[in-house]
Amino acid sequence: MAVEGTLSRPVSARPERPEPAIPHAVFGMVLAIICEMLFFSGLVAAFIVGESANPGAWPPPGQPRFPVEVTGVNTLALLASGVLALLANRAHGAGRPSFVGLLTAAAVLGAVFLGVQGVEWQGLIREGLTLSYSTHASFFYLLVGMHAAHALVALGGLVWAVAQARKGALGKGGLVAASLFWGFVVLVWPVLYVLVYLL
Amino acid sequence: MASHSIAAHGHSDSHGHHDAHHEEHWFLKYCWSTDHKMIAKQYLITGLFMALIGGFFAYVFRWQLAFPNQPVPFFGVVTPASYNMMITQHGTIMIFFVAMPVLLAAFGNYLIPLMVGADDMVFPRLNRASYQVFLISSIILIWSFFVPGGGFGGAWTAYPPLSAGSQFNLTPSGSTLWVVAVAVEFVAFLMGGINFIVTAMNARAPGMKFEDVPMAVWMIVIASVMFMMSVGPLIAGSVMLIMDQNFGTHFFDPRTGGDPVLWQHLFWFFGHPEVYVVLLPALGFLAEILPVFSRKKLFGYRTLLYSSIGTACLSFFVWAHHQFISGIDPRMANVFAATTVLISIPIAEIMFVFIATLYRSSIQFTVPMLWALSFVAEFLVGGVTGIFLGASGADIHFHDTYFVLAHFHYTFFPIAIIGSFAGLTYWFPKMFGRHLNEGLGKLHFWITIISFNFIWMPLFFTGIMGDHRRIYSFTNFPDLMTPDRILLREISSVATAIMGVAQILFFANFFWSMYKGRKAEDNPYGANTLEWRCPSPPPHGNFAVMPTVYRGPYEYSHPDRESDFWPQDEPPAGQGSVQPEGAH
Amino acid sequence: MAEQHPSHESGGSGWQPLARSVYSLTILGVVTVITAILLYIFAGGEDLIARLIPANSSFAGDIDFVILIIAGLVGFWFFASIFAFFALLYQSRRRPGHKPEYLGKHDHQLHTWISWPHWLVIACDLIIIVVAVKVWHQVKQVAPPADTVVRVTAQQWGWTFRHPGTDNKLDTADDIVTIDRLHVPVDKVVHFELQSKDVMHDFSVPVFRLKQDAVPGRTINGWFKPTKAGAFDIQCAEMCGIGHGLMPARIFVETPEQHAAFIEDSARNASVPGGQSIY
Ligand code: HEA
Ligand code: HEA
Ligand code: CUA
Ligand SMILES: [Cu+2]
Repeated sequence: MAVEGTLSRPVSARPERPEPAIPHAVFGMVLAIICEMLFFSGLVAAFIVGESANPGAWPPPGQPRFPVEVTGVNTLALLASGVLALLANRAHGAGRPSFVGLLTAAAVLGAVFLGVQGVEWQGLIREGLTLSYSTHASFFYLLVGMHAAHALVALGGLVWAVAQARKGALGKGGLVAASLFWGFVVLVWPVLYVLVYLL
Repeated sequence: MASHSIAAHGHSDSHGHHDAHHEEHWFLKYCWSTDHKMIAKQYLITGLFMALIGGFFAYVFRWQLAFPNQPVPFFGVVTPASYNMMITQHGTIMIFFVAMPVLLAAFGNYLIPLMVGADDMVFPRLNRASYQVFLISSIILIWSFFVPGGGFGGAWTAYPPLSAGSQFNLTPSGSTLWVVAVAVEFVAFLMGGINFIVTAMNARAPGMKFEDVPMAVWMIVIASVMFMMSVGPLIAGSVMLIMDQNFGTHFFDPRTGGDPVLWQHLFWFFGHPEVYVVLLPALGFLAEILPVFSRKKLFGYRTLLYSSIGTACLSFFVWAHHQFISGIDPRMANVFAATTVLISIPIAEIMFVFIATLYRSSIQFTVPMLWALSFVAEFLVGGVTGIFLGASGADIHFHDTYFVLAHFHYTFFPIAIIGSFAGLTYWFPKMFGRHLNEGLGKLHFWITIISFNFIWMPLFFTGIMGDHRRIYSFTNFPDLMTPDRILLREISSVATAIMGVAQILFFANFFWSMYKGRKAEDNPYGANTLEWRCPSPPPHGNFAVMPTVYRGPYEYSHPDRESDFWPQDEPPAGQGSVQPEGAH
Repeated sequence: MAEQHPSHESGGSGWQPLARSVYSLTILGVVTVITAILLYIFAGGEDLIARLIPANSSFAGDIDFVILIIAGLVGFWFFASIFAFFALLYQSRRRPGHKPEYLGKHDHQLHTWISWPHWLVIACDLIIIVVAVKVWHQVKQVAPPADTVVRVTAQQWGWTFRHPGTDNKLDTADDIVTIDRLHVPVDKVVHFELQSKDVMHDFSVPVFRLKQDAVPGRTINGWFKPTKAGAFDIQCAEMCGIGHGLMPARIFVETPEQHAAFIEDSARNASVPGGQSIY
């Protein structure tokens, strides 16, 4: 949402404002990301408290295991797309048109990640691990689900950026903001993966 | 109503068009504008309206408490359910739908661009969205009063399991709508906060160094940062609460490995910083008003700034003082008691700065000044009584008694009502291009202030004497039905009714002056800050020529000037000085 | 600046003397109120709080003491600030020929206004913290050995009290279970096990200065030692739903004889199945 240029209608007889150190869109996006980080740290804190609230077996025995391996690979896919987004920014900075392709690739990989997640969930639910199956399951769906929701939004941002780029209407601020948010989604995931799947 | 000012300069747009005189469809002008001043007025009016609801609820349950189980005039009989619902919504409304929108959103939107010399917020459309999301959340909240089962009645703190299970709170949809309303509103203020911070940092007029930024802007920015840093976890908690209520999860349900106290931590980790989020903007208004009407430089700009930042930081480490006896590890209480009491230091400094500003000044007791001064006097009471609660040992007795209520009404009322009145009466000429009526304003001031003290002073004592909160009728408690207690309660309730009626004066003055008031000059008070350097009311785009800032905002009564104020953007002597209006 | 500024004309020069009298009156009022309060405090001394609400437990006096210490310390600051405040309002009220003072960046002599109080406030804070933590520790962190133990169970919306019977042990056949009426012997250390069946409640006995949340899924232990016989209110002090205001209970602090009698005839009525009597 913060992907919005500054409003400065060129009004005559007005000395131009000194160019801000950080572009508005980037600044705004950084702030938004800080909020998001706190949001997720809230979830993680809750998860850890919940974990410590039932000592002993965690995850409780006799519950379907989470697909660690597939998700592991999936994680790599996500990280790769993050790298691609980064490269896209580099390219754009260097004025190389290849950045559009890189950005598209990043978006595609992101879509793949989300797709695989969806398939996994179907599997889990078929195995009977529903949202209300246990607190453990609830936390699983809460954390992973919230991340998925953010990934969806961030993916939207990437797609928007690609579309703009195709039109050649993509400003630097827009690109950086979009890839910043995507980067955030990418970097939060490993934390959740380790917390929810491995520990 | 807000219409008037803008209509004066029929110039309003979202983006692009420069044609200053083409009339716009009223909907686009009043409901779809991206002009920060219009959005500010939208927030203000919504906040005023919500304040009426919250105030009316206060009157109703106050009356019920003094004259139990008799029909309340203009309402009827108060049942336990409706009592709980009303106090809950009263608290929610007053904090989240009055204090926040008026102090932070309305004045933040109005003042920041004007005071830093910007033509608008840097994200105007985000700004518009912020208000619309807020409006939606207000509508959801009011809607929740009327759904089957009634509005949520589990107190504004919404402790689970009560709030998490409809078998406990008996308000299946009311409780969910309440959480949704509050969570959605948080999103609105996050959008606003991002806007405030970026605008204040990136869009300052050339020459405006950090120490030239008016205190009001600083305070609102610090408050926004605090809000952003504290609200995330609570939003997470709200999501979990909504899932518990509707999707059969058990995050807060002890029987299946959930932890009910977890919510309390999430809530108060936000809840305590929140009180300073609303405190700081009000302090910012004082920092603007006191110097202007005492014609004296603000005492200790840096002290004030650093104390506020100190308060902000410290406030993240005190939250458990709301949970001393909630079953947390008693050893934790010691730590939090210490941090809590220590927070008195920065706030004491802030108070001393304001008092010291008056030293050897020349005070005019105009209406805004009266409000500002009364803030200092009243807030001191609320502040020092907080220390009784922060002292863990004493809180064992005070927790959830009317002493707590009196404490925070002596802080919240000065902030949300007195602070808003101060800001509103001070900036009214700028906002609406007309003056409020002084005489009426003074009358309203005195009635409100006196009745306020009669409402809450007695309740300190009923609190010490054991009146507990959220009790719809004390008739069930023999020890609490002694004549002296009953008398104190009645004084308080009658005073509430009087205060409620007195608000008619305000609204009459407000709306009458908006259309019929005496036309306001650009700079009626002889103030220095930039908002007074553009027309009243300012057109869309604010400044004809972008101002350049040469000095701090509080240069009053400078010895080597004949004029007793020195506007921030007035070039130093020799650089073709602008004619200062209304010199001494 | 005034003359050109209608905002002040409107008030007119008429209200200046009026304001002056108003404010001098305010100051007078404040002064009298303060002296009254101070006199009351010194007259009241120790039992100032106890006059408002009886102090009937061993630690009630200590908690009142904390309250009074704080009242003294912050009271001093409060009145000092208020005095300075109103004095300044009067001293620097706007009047002809009275010029406000400009303090430039460099004159720091005024800053002692802040720095001195600053350190003094810190000192007061430390005193307050020490006193508060000490009493907290004594009430909530340690407990004297129990003479008897009761189990307090809260639920929407009532209290169940399980007294140990003649054998003074809980969970034995002769336990006495009562609803909304708690019987304890005077001058004996009573430990309580606090539980909740559904939502948060709070076991609060104002005359004991006692308060403790009941958290579902946990048992929270606490103690008190009543010092005066009589019947007092128990309140629920945590919002627990519609009936939160309808959850009153009474605590009967009994002399040894009375208490023995209570145990006696509840034992007699114990013919009720489960050996329990709703007392
Ligand atoms: C904006 C509102 C606001 C503000 C500013 C404050 C300020 C403070 N509050 Fe308050 N508080 C609330 C709003 C506020 N509070 C609300 C809404 C609740 C109830 C929530 C609920 O349960 O519903 C609450 C409840 C509350 C509690 C929990 C009570 C309980 O439920 O058991 C506590 C306990 O520590 C507390 C403490 C404090 C303290 C120490 C301050 C300090 O910031 C005050 C510092 C200021 C001063 C101390 C005065 C100036 C200093 C001097 C004059 C110098 C002399 C002072 C000393 C030497 C100490 N508050
Ligand atoms: C900003 C916060 C705020 C404000 C201003 C008030 C104002 C008042 N409050 Fe409220 N109150 C709370 C926040 C606030 N309250 C909270 C958080 C709770 C706890 C809820 C809970 O326990 O869950 C509470 C609880 C509470 C209780 C306890 C109920 C109970 O526990 O049983 C009582 C009882 O007397 C009470 C009374 C009053 C009264 C008489 C006023 C009067 O001062 C109100 C008078 C106001 C008006 C008559 C109208 C207001 C003014 C205008 C319409 C003009 C507006 C103008 C501008 C904004 C510029 N309040
Ligand atoms: Cu039980 Cu309140
Ligand atoms: Cu607090």
